[in-house]
Amino acid sequence: MEDAVSQPPPGVGKVIARMHGSTIGQKALMAVSGLLLVGFVFGHMLGHLQMFGPNAREHYNAYAHFLQSLGELLWVMRLTLLAAVILHIVSAVQVTLRNKAARPIQYANVKWIKATFASRAMRQTGVILLLFILWHLLRFTIMSAAATGFTGPEVPLKPGSTELVPDVYGRMVFAFNNRPGITLTYVGCVGLLGVHLSHGIQSALQTLGVLNAAYRPLLKKVGPALGGLVFVGFASVPLAILAGFIK
Amino acid sequence: MNLTLKIWRQKDKATPGQFETIEAKDISPDMSFLEMLDVVSEEAQKKGFEPTAFDHDCREGICGMCSLVINGVPHGPEAATTTCQLHMRKFKDGDNIVIEPWRAAAFPVLRDLVVDRSAFDHIQQKGGFVSINTGGTPDGNAIPIAKQEADLAMDAASCIGCGACVAACKNASAMLFVAAKVSQYAHLPQGQAERSRRVLAMVEQHDAEGFGSCTNFGECEAVCPKEISVRVIAEMNRDYLRATLVGTNS
Ligand code: SF4
Ligand code: FES
Repeated sequence: MEDAVSQPPPGVGKVIARMHGSTIGQKALMAVSGLLLVGFVFGHMLGHLQMFGPNAREHYNAYAHFLQSLGELLWVMRLTLLAAVILHIVSAVQVTLRNKAARPIQYANVKWIKATFASRAMRQTGVILLLFILWHLLRFTIMSAAATGFTGPEVPLKPGSTELVPDVYGRMVFAFNNRPGITLTYVGCVGLLGVHLSHGIQSALQTLGVLNAAYRPLLKKVGPALGGLVFVGFASVPLAILAGFIK
Repeated sequence: MNLTLKIWRQKDKATPGQFETIEAKDISPDMSFLEMLDVVSEEAQKKGFEPTAFDHDCREGICGMCSLVINGVPHGPEAATTTCQLHMRKFKDGDNIVIEPWRAAAFPVLRDLVVDRSAFDHIQQKGGFVSINTGGTPDGNAIPIAKQEADLAMDAASCIGCGACVAACKNASAMLFVAAKVSQYAHLPQGQAERSRRVLAMVEQHDAEGFGSCTNFGECEAVCPKEISVRVIAEMNRDYLRATLVGTNS
């Protein structure tokens, strides 16, 4: 049903004030930035899955080469992601501070009836994921291959081609091969990512009012299902390398 | 049956409180939880102690006055039941029962287990009504409303304003309450004229009262004595965002 009387949209100042200052607005910003990041996570995961299959080295290197060749577009994507991460963190801090203040005296006795572990651990998983992302960026984006100790030569873009590209595939194998500690840390962290998303995705949809009564039961399962998928997708590559399945 | 109660005692708003352990003897399993507290209070009075203060009124589960967090759950262990409708047969002889007031910055404790829930009244006063002329009683039936919509409105309207949703929420958010009040009119033609204005004003007041924000734990719907579903929160969010981004009326 629509409003009986409608008026022009509120001014930009009002919109910003409400989105930035109200409980629902802050949550909506957290939801939108979160969903954007979820989109990236899935793209990133699909990219990684090219480490499997025949001719994986060429496919994966060609994919990495393609991303690098995007030039300015790559920077647009990076800055968008950075903005989303900042927005996500700022709104998370705002929401957390407000929510802590809303209950100054805790109960002596609390029994959870429905709240899932994932929903109660969002703050903790979020902080660990931030540290993980920084470490991950350092290892694979900021540091040069040589700085990480990888000395593999450049390889042809296609079999027989004269165009040489960095062997990103080899670098990935080098990063996990024979390194159970690092591999398990990665697997643990993408596990936490799965836990974070299992609540995050459905919570975002609920916050944006997407879950209406008819879809609720279905969409409640979407979060855990996608969270599980993210975990399996991301954990499979380093585990396969450690196991010597990808080499 | 005999029980050991650990009850929150607090002299007034300004004085910090503490737990007091009280033995409840010879309690009948047929008593309601509040009747059990009546018995305990009478005993205390006979001995010259100050009885524990707690809120109650109808004792029929319809007014929303009773409260109490019982063993960590607002309104106690029985689902879809107010404290006044909870019976002692839900407990066993020898049980320890911890009884606390609603805990929220927006619900200050006035005395013992009694909290001040005026914050809900302030929110209601901002838009929990329609101010259009709806005509006389027969006119209500003159406007056709789809059964589905009427049911959704009626489900939301069954909120009794008890505040258990706030008490159960880790963030002391009152979103379930506000959303119930918003949704009840959003599904009816009479509520449309003020639809956007209502949601903006009520949420603004909710925030001003110092309630937290909803992080979708779902504890509120689990303890709500009227089983209000968090679908009302999704509806309210949608209305709020639409009113904020697209436009408002009246
Ligand atoms: S929504 Fe349920 S728990 Fe909250 S005030 Fe209304 S009846 Fe009480
Ligand atoms: S006393 Fe009225 S609902 Fe419990």
